[in-house]
Amino acid sequence: MTELQVQQTTAHWPNVQEMPFWLEKAIAWGQTDTPHTWKDISLHLKRLRDFLQQLLTEISSVSSTTETLNRLPLLGQLLGRLCWNSHVTAEGASRGLLLQCLLALYSEHPSNAVEGKANQWIQKVLCHLATDEEDGAAVVLMKHLAVPTKEYHLNVLKKMVTRIQESIGNSRCSVSSTNKGCSCGSVWAASEACVPLITCPEASPLIGALLQQQMTCIREGLSENFLGALHSAYSRCDLLLDEQAVVSLWYQSLPSLEEAVLNLLASATAAGSTPSQVEEQVSKSLLPKACAQHCSVFLVVNDIFRTVLKQTERNERVKNVFQTFTKCFFMELSRLQPQPSASLKAFFPQSPPSLLIPLFTMPSEMPQESLKNHLMWVSSSLQRLTEEEEDDEDSDSGNIRGNHKVFEAWFLLVQCAYWVHVAVQLLVTSGPEDCGPLLWLLTFYHHPTNRWHHRASQLVQAKAAWDHLYSLFSTVAHPLPADHLQSFISLLAPKPQQPSLAPSLTLNLLVNFATFGQLPQSTSAEITQKVVHQSGLQDEAARVLSSLRLRLNDRGSFANDRVHLRIEELHNTIKKQM
Amino acid sequence: MEAVLKNVGRTVELLAVAAHSGVVNEWDEQTVTRAFHWARYCEHIYSRFHGNPVIRGVLEKQLQLTNHSLKEALPEYNAVSFLDLGRCQDLLLLWLLNNSALPVSIMKMLFETKASADSTSSNYEDVRGLCSQIIQCKSACTVLRPLLGVPSVGADAEVQGEMLMERLGSALSQSSDPLRAEDFLSSVLQEFEVAAEHLCPVIAAALLTTTDSAAQTASQDFLLDWLQSRRGTLQHVCTALPSKVLADLAKRHQKFRDAFCKLLKRWASEMEYRVTEGEWVHAATSSAVSFQKMTEHYLALFEACPSLRTEMEDELNARRIADGDFDVRGLSVWGDNLLALRK
Repeated sequence: MTELQVQQTTAHWPNVQEMPFWLEKAIAWGQTDTPHTWKDISLHLKRLRDFLQQLLTEISSVSSTTETLNRLPLLGQLLGRLCWNSHVTAEGASRGLLLQCLLALYSEHPSNAVEGKANQWIQKVLCHLATDEEDGAAVVLMKHLAVPTKEYHLNVLKKMVTRIQESIGNSRCSVSSTNKGCSCGSVWAASEACVPLITCPEASPLIGALLQQQMTCIREGLSENFLGALHSAYSRCDLLLDEQAVVSLWYQSLPSLEEAVLNLLASATAAGSTPSQVEEQVSKSLLPKACAQHCSVFLVVNDIFRTVLKQTERNERVKNVFQTFTKCFFMELSRLQPQPSASLKAFFPQSPPSLLIPLFTMPSEMPQESLKNHLMWVSSSLQRLTEEEEDDEDSDSGNIRGNHKVFEAWFLLVQCAYWVHVAVQLLVTSGPEDCGPLLWLLTFYHHPTNRWHHRASQLVQAKAAWDHLYSLFSTVAHPLPADHLQSFISLLAPKPQQPSLAPSLTLNLLVNFATFGQLPQSTSAEITQKVVHQSGLQDEAARVLSSLRLRLNDRGSFANDRVHLRIEELHNTIKKQM
Repeated sequence: MEAVLKNVGRTVELLAVAAHSGVVNEWDEQTVTRAFHWARYCEHIYSRFHGNPVIRGVLEKQLQLTNHSLKEALPEYNAVSFLDLGRCQDLLLLWLLNNSALPVSIMKMLFETKASADSTSSNYEDVRGLCSQIIQCKSACTVLRPLLGVPSVGADAEVQGEMLMERLGSALSQSSDPLRAEDFLSSVLQEFEVAAEHLCPVIAAALLTTTDSAAQTASQDFLLDWLQSRRGTLQHVCTALPSKVLADLAKRHQKFRDAFCKLLKRWASEMEYRVTEGEWVHAATSSAVSFQKMTEHYLALFEACPSLRTEMEDELNARRIADGDFDVRGLSVWGDNLLALRK
């Protein structure tokens, strides 16, 4: 063999160095059976799996068992010892690899005594593992009672799970019982022992009980290995836990919680998902429930949302997810507490406190006449806040950190965006005198930052848009005033020089005017069609309409057949062009 | 019936082939699945007819014939009994795995392990991965066993006790002759004269299972009577089990309570005081009950059945007085008993 070939062959066998390490481990694990042994095993389980996988690849690549045993003389000992270790064989992946390694060593046509002996040994090991032949008294009884092995062991397993659950449930830790010493040290030991059983279906009630047990005791906790293994299994969608157990898992394992939130965001903001699908995904995800039960969970989730929002200010889909999430969360919170508004401060420590209750009061809880005043108040509060901060900013030029309060207020508004939608709807029926604050609110929602003092210009544009719509939808004259329509459409076009208004703002106004305005259905449809068609914003318009429909379904009291019919017609109109 | 006998006979022949024949080398997944299917069939036949003496007799005769002819053909053949039919699948698996001609592909199929957590246990019909599931169950039990801790009979004994009760119940219900049930118990339990310490928790667990029906209560009663009729076994049970378990048994069954109390008194009366050790010791070394253990038993008993306390203390006192009414240690076992209890 050339030098290169020699290098290659030895390069295939890095395990030759690792083998003594693992053999030593296997021997040590076989000598004691304490929680510390279990901890060591679960600590090494993943590495062991990787090692077994490497072994398997190499055994399979060599055609003769004799050769394999020559290169890895300790192999038989290692495999044998691992087979007797229940913590290794209980875990699915390691059991699978171990068995495959054994079977890969079996020679179909043994060519010498060594291979023959190896075959015999392998069969003996397998037999011992899978049958009860050598198990003594218990087995003899089962034989007399004619109970099949599998059924017997399954029943014993289920019985054990029940009994351990009971003993865990009974050991409620009370801080006052300092004499007795809580048995929560045993909870740690149990969690350590159960690491290999995380994906075992029969053990899942026990896993759930362990997860939920933690919360009553301040002393010993669940083992780190346990939580880590749970997180890995959760990522692979390999866990079988009931709802409360999942909530407990999120409460205790930050990585699992983060992963769940990011997964939800990814699926809810995927292209093509309708607002009602988003709502379904959010409520099914159990995250709102978990947030309502644990403030700390909500704070983490909200923080993730905050970070995402800072990077995607303009993304309507993302904003919609946040709004839906907050709605679901608040519903869950109301189920748990009769007065949810009392605890809002704990859940939103960074938001301006004066805005919390006003924004979290649902529009449906107020009489219709008061809605406008309420929104005026909200709008002026926010305006004051922005002005204060801008004053601070001017005096301390270049200090971006001052934006904190305004950002938090805006974040809250995004989460309670149902008020923004009410504002838009009210703009349809408002006159030129009182549309100001509402327009300000709308503009702020779409453009929270006042970089380079663009807000003044944006407000002007918003007012112009509203003016156009106001006159378009109040004249009953036929044909449509073409120049009004044209100038309105031009507002939607992006302008390179000026700071342009977010198209969704203008579209929202349009859709609301078309739905709630006084013009006959056909005319509204015609106007909408022209605008949407010429500006090329069909997708966005359709999305806005779906959201409106969903919202009206929720609100109930504002919905009536006429409105629904209009929405349907508008939807068809837009779709026609798509 | 003819068909059943034929099928059973054929399956037994199949088992023999699985155990000893090189033909197994050509078996594929389908063949193996079919073999297990027939084994399941035999298990089903067993469970239907094991309580029916007539049909059982016919089946046993068939087995005899089949065993005989197989023994002639294969000298290394081990006879299959009627009892074995009840665990036919286990037998098939055992013999297959011991057959050196079994192809690797079949072994790989049997030991296949699915990585993810499907509800593998519910699929009863599947032969693929069967062995891996068994290993998972057994390993999981071994992993969880140390977590049980609390002095009890243990999950294994509980399950065995439940199954014992179930079989006893069906034996009692299937024939009006109690002798059959008694034979059943004796045959099952006599194997354990050697492994009595394993047997005791099982009996205790059997007697402690919750009874939901009159039939179950009747089974427990039957077991109790059987236990009481066998001095040796009763004594063994009371020696081997922890105080708490015995107390639970006494609480649950009046008959046991009476028998246990009687036994305690008998033990005490057989004790003699060893001056050199300063302790009461049981004369006959076979039962090895210490004075301390006896006290523990009493205390546990009183905790479980508080009403018993005054009654027992009175009786102990009466005996102490009969012994001479001494207050000094070492003179009356009854007095010392009382002293220990009152501490």
